[in-house]
Amino acid sequence: MHTILRRALHTTSTVNPAEIAHFSRLSSQWWDEAGEFSFLHRMNPVRMRFIREKLLEVAQDDQPTFNEPSSASLLKGLDVLDVGCGGGLLSESLARLGANTLGVDASGANISIAKLHAAQDPQLVQPESLSYLHTPAEALLASPKRYDVVCSMEVLEHVDNPPAFLDTCAQLVKPGGHLFLSTISRTPLAYFLTIFMAENVLRKVASGTHTHSKFVRPEELTAFFRSYPNAKLPWVAAGRGSPTRTQAEVRGLVYNPLKACWMLAPRDAWGAAECNYIFWVRKPAILEEQAAP
Amino acid sequence: MRPPTSTTIWRRGARRLQTSLRRPLSTSTAEDWDVVIVGGGPVGLALASALGSSQLVRERLRVALVEAGDLSKVHNWTPANGSFSNRASSLTLKSQTFLKDTRAWEYVDEERTCPIHNMQVWDGVSNARIDFAASLLASNPPENGMARMTENLNLQRGLLRHLDSIPVPIMDKTKVQLIDHANDSDCWPLVHLDNGRILRSRLLVGADGLNSPVRAFAKISSYGWAYDTQAIVATMEHPVMAPNTTAYQRFLPTGPIAFLPISPIASSLVWSTKPSLAAALIASGPLVLRSMINAAFRLPDVSMRYLNGLIIDAHASGIPATHIQIQSEISWRERSHGIQETSAYASAFVDTNKQGIPPTDSELLPPLVTSLQPGTVASFPLRFNHTDSYLGADQYSRTVLVGDAAHTVHPLAGQGLNLGLADVECLSRCIQNALLQGGDVGSHTALLPYAQERYLENHKVMSVMDKLHKLYSMSSEPVVWARSVGLEVVNELDSVKAALMMEASGKQGLTSMWDLAAKRSENFAAASNAATAIRTGISGFLGAGIQRVLKAAGTSLSDRK
Repeated sequence: MHTILRRALHTTSTVNPAEIAHFSRLSSQWWDEAGEFSFLHRMNPVRMRFIREKLLEVAQDDQPTFNEPSSASLLKGLDVLDVGCGGGLLSESLARLGANTLGVDASGANISIAKLHAAQDPQLVQPESLSYLHTPAEALLASPKRYDVVCSMEVLEHVDNPPAFLDTCAQLVKPGGHLFLSTISRTPLAYFLTIFMAENVLRKVASGTHTHSKFVRPEELTAFFRSYPNAKLPWVAAGRGSPTRTQAEVRGLVYNPLKACWMLAPRDAWGAAECNYIFWVRKPAILEEQAAP
Repeated sequence: MRPPTSTTIWRRGARRLQTSLRRPLSTSTAEDWDVVIVGGGPVGLALASALGSSQLVRERLRVALVEAGDLSKVHNWTPANGSFSNRASSLTLKSQTFLKDTRAWEYVDEERTCPIHNMQVWDGVSNARIDFAASLLASNPPENGMARMTENLNLQRGLLRHLDSIPVPIMDKTKVQLIDHANDSDCWPLVHLDNGRILRSRLLVGADGLNSPVRAFAKISSYGWAYDTQAIVATMEHPVMAPNTTAYQRFLPTGPIAFLPISPIASSLVWSTKPSLAAALIASGPLVLRSMINAAFRLPDVSMRYLNGLIIDAHASGIPATHIQIQSEISWRERSHGIQETSAYASAFVDTNKQGIPPTDSELLPPLVTSLQPGTVASFPLRFNHTDSYLGADQYSRTVLVGDAAHTVHPLAGQGLNLGLADVECLSRCIQNALLQGGDVGSHTALLPYAQERYLENHKVMSVMDKLHKLYSMSSEPVVWARSVGLEVVNELDSVKAALMMEASGKQGLTSMWDLAAKRSENFAAASNAATAIRTGISGFLGAGIQRVLKAAGTSLSDRK
């Protein structure tokens, strides 16, 4: 187990050229809501809901008197990074909720499409809360800028060397900040649904989009952060089973074909994270304090 | 509003598009809006008021409403005491709850509305009857009744007053000249107004009625048919009824006639009938129409058929039937049917000063109409229309239809406005949900839940109305027999009742009510088919027919549990 994540952390680039070529070819279709990326479009509100609810939960844990019923302005003013932003589906939503959003993608074609699309929307042009950059995430480490929230949705299963990619994302998070990932678990069910059905039978997704061996299981992610950055000061406390709610969380994303919509499975719902899931982990704030003196 | 016809607007739109391909249309003059609602009828205004009442929407979206007509007339509507507009709707509890939640109801003059507590519905041929009391509805305060008759103008004025308190700009006396978009890669609709302004809209809402220009722009096709039916509306005056809270509806083979209470001294008429008869009735003047209304609730169908023929023939000959002629004809027919002059069923002579003990059975019939309020008699053709989609697709995305622009329903249960308000409630909820998730409210993703939730729901209601219309238009003996048996066997919960009562409970169980109604009307059709078979001499079907009716009744009753 965990073979994928046990690989060394020293590779510099996690970008897979074949994957980038694949998504560049499809880039013009990013905003066709009924086309190639229709599943992602429908998943977007659910991902946003999870981000919002998790931030609300943390805010209420940190400050029990916190009162923001609609939680629509939670992201206001936060620095948010969207790694592998594609056409900007998630970035636009983050920016609309007031986050200072930077979307980065290794595909220049994707960034062009994302910029073009955002330019049509006065809500995104006026406050200039949204910017895009054609760059691999690793290149951002050179700058001292760190982010309150780092998101990387449906990217992990496309990168080379996932541990190095996770390390990059984790480094970009401010202490006390949040890392959100969504990906697909490496299970027979995931193979059946995301590759066999979606790509081969229903042909809803372009063939070759997914590679089963690159999928990552949620427990592998949890295990990664149990010894990250080192076994002494991990993001997630050592132990077995699910991490505590305040450190990390795994929630299944379940597609309902009858209603053509995604659902966020309840916490610890059995089997819900067997295919698509969303993962949250919080960078401990203590690390910084201990490192300072 | 009176929009240009769909073809002209589309042709113009197409021409403009061609031009814009050659010489890119400058969008620099276009103003950016998030939601542009076209149409200032009750549905369009309700959407503006619902959106404006949400703090989230006010903070995030710029909403505007465009209407060709002059809304100040509606805003300043001051009807005389005791006179009522001829266009009134029975707002269900669900619609009322929605209007109360958005606080628009506070601006509606409740004094001019009237709750419906009871409903009497009967078959014009067999006289099979069902009645329903709102008090049977659990979890509903009895004073609310099952619905509330409200003049459309009263509602519209209330919505406009509500909109005064929230900043949603209303551009009335402004026509939409054409709708297009800049180019194929930027498909945000551009709404060109006759005052030269161009509104570039994130979301364009068509609340612009049956011949919706927005629907034409979005190239959404619709299917439907005109019923061979015209609806006569009028405000009827009658002796003081205290209280006047019972609605009456008689299903005649020519169409249903409904008496809907609006105040103790006035009620609203909706009489659906054949176009030739409607024209002749209106041409014969208010006195003849009044007598015919009273008769239509009382005389046996055979006599109504005779009177209808008489009026149509007289109208065709150029000499309309006179009041005296109709009165004596009704009187003669009453005598030949054995109806006493003191009976509740007698209507030949309307004595406005009649006092004393009301005759037996008078609670089964509406009060005698003494006069029709001048200027309130009108008629309009009935249609069934449903669009193929509520959302524009591809380059016509960012458009959504609500109310009559999306669906036109047979008014036999007065559900048109309620369906429109349910659309508005759902759309405004979807818009707010999308805002919460940072979504683009004009996107297909944000609007899809609206289409999913409303399309099937509306279709179900519309199909029930359509089936009932067809079923009750038949006067052939076996169908009537099936109908009467159907009505009596399932008196407790039959399709008509379900249809008329729909959503009375306000929140839960609505869907099942309609599912049941749909199932019932299908069973009904099955029963009438069986009945037709009896006539052709297959006696074995008799048992089957009864069994089916009983079984249908059984299913309804068990569904109810």
